[in-house]
Amino acid sequence: MDKTTTQPAFDRAEFDQMAAEWRYIMTDMICRAGSGHLGGAFSLVEIVMTLYCRIMRTDPANPRWDERDRLVLSKGHAAPVLYLALAYQGFFPMAWLKTLNADGTKLPSHADARYVPGIDMTTGSLGQGLSCACGAAHAARLDGKKHRVFCIIGDGESNEGQNWEAAMFAGHHKLDNLVAITDYNKLQIDDFTDTLLSLEPLCDKWRAFGWEVFEMDGHDWDAIYKTINAAIAVRGKPAMIIAHTIKAKGCCLVENKPESHNIKVPDQATYDKFLNSLTAKATLPY
Amino acid sequence: MGKDFHSMEMRFVYGETLNELIEQNPNVMCLEADLSKASGTNPTVSSRHPANFLNIGVAEANMIGIGAGLASEGKVPFCASFTCFATRRVYDQVTISVAYANMNVKIVGTAPGITAGPNGGTHMCFQDLAIMRAMPNMHVYSPCDALELRSVMRYMAASRQPTYMQLIRSKVPKIFDAEHAFDPNKAVVLREGRDVTLVSTGYMTQFAVAVVDELARAGVSVELLHYPSVKPFDAATLVASAQKTRGVVTVENQNIIGGLGGAACEVLSEQCPTRVKRLGVPNQFGEVASEQYLFDKHGFGPKQIADACRRIAAERKTK
Repeated sequence: MDKTTTQPAFDRAEFDQMAAEWRYIMTDMICRAGSGHLGGAFSLVEIVMTLYCRIMRTDPANPRWDERDRLVLSKGHAAPVLYLALAYQGFFPMAWLKTLNADGTKLPSHADARYVPGIDMTTGSLGQGLSCACGAAHAARLDGKKHRVFCIIGDGESNEGQNWEAAMFAGHHKLDNLVAITDYNKLQIDDFTDTLLSLEPLCDKWRAFGWEVFEMDGHDWDAIYKTINAAIAVRGKPAMIIAHTIKAKGCCLVENKPESHNIKVPDQATYDKFLNSLTAKATLPY
Repeated sequence: MGKDFHSMEMRFVYGETLNELIEQNPNVMCLEADLSKASGTNPTVSSRHPANFLNIGVAEANMIGIGAGLASEGKVPFCASFTCFATRRVYDQVTISVAYANMNVKIVGTAPGITAGPNGGTHMCFQDLAIMRAMPNMHVYSPCDALELRSVMRYMAASRQPTYMQLIRSKVPKIFDAEHAFDPNKAVVLREGRDVTLVSTGYMTQFAVAVVDELARAGVSVELLHYPSVKPFDAATLVASAQKTRGVVTVENQNIIGGLGGAACEVLSEQCPTRVKRLGVPNQFGEVASEQYLFDKHGFGPKQIADACRRIAAERKTK
């Protein structure tokens, strides 16, 4: 079975429409659950969609396919956007989406490889995913395997020291099958990153740890596609993409606001307010 | 004639056995965090199997995460560091990336309890059995001699089970004449007796054996149960023994809260209420000191074990 076949041609209008759908569906999922991590899932929509629909080699019929590309969503609280990608790819039925955080659900608030086909690593405790991605990348290299390992970390998450242990390891071992992306939406739970604990100069930090560093607009289809492919092509060192994004992009009620991190939806009126605050409407697939 | 593992330091038995496991299964890996000489894997493993040897640096959290990543790709990483760094320092990493994610990672804590010796209080971890035991999905082993260490390691390499193992670094006296098939669900009845039950694990078993043999000569019949696995904990063997002797002493190279003594009390209080005396470190930190000093200060050396066994046996006889 050849999974390396070219992805379908990119249709901007179709991707715009799909991004709007994902944001609409995620809002519905989170509102049904009564609360959830909307902001950090919304900032990743275009990146995760590009990865799964244009770049990563996966096989929904065989989620553990050995040659698949791996993704570690280290900021595991953004799981809803990963669930959208996996459901759209056919890893599990769309109907699962409406069960986010419900009793007995297969889709918990944080990415969980034990329940969800297509998730490569269980995450949720911030700072651990990049180390796991390093282990997966090192194993692939030992075994002479050609797949790529992607890892998405958060900007607030970058406060965790373990990221920098992993950064040192990947740089030292020149893990060039590892591509990491920082979702730099400039907000963490309590405040703006620059106010709470500045990451700057962020690019210089990663460069100093031996990584090839790229920057991109994390909502621009062309920039994302081009930059991730450039990062994949890097040889002799790991690659970090600093993705400039907007937290809760597309949900004007909380866009670029700290309160977008974990929205509370106690009643129907709040639910309506959130759905009405989206820049585009869509129909629910369940 | 095979190698005399009993004449070796336990850390070198660990390194040699890892080499054998790697030769049987190339997916077995040796991870270290800049204490590889202390663990006995450098140069034993590093020179013979350099591709299977990965020194992460002084970054134990990263070692656990990398171990989880390797395990997700089918590797079987043995991640070693001093007990304090292999458990309490990385408790959340082990909890989430290994146990919760159910990754086949083997964590090895070296120099357990008072065997941290000259490194003193900062390095003496008295709570690893307790905290690792409280973690769902995690097995907790503490072999007592070189041949049992080899049996336990063979089991670990073959199982898919997230596991923590205490590794004594020094040479220890022979307990087992031959390798036995380690079964985590089975305690080992090292001595049969009728007056009192003594329960031990890991480093303390060598002392327990000596005490029990000495007491036998003095007419006190002690049943000695050795627990190479503190979790799972073989309740049936303890209950059967307690029903016979009606008095139990536990001894461990740990805080008496939550470890082997805790496990024994949990089982007995629910299944066979029995008088128990727990010996170990009574809820204190360690310090730089000789073994004898620490045994006497905390009350869990051979003398105190013998005294406790005699006392409990006498109590039972007067009732």
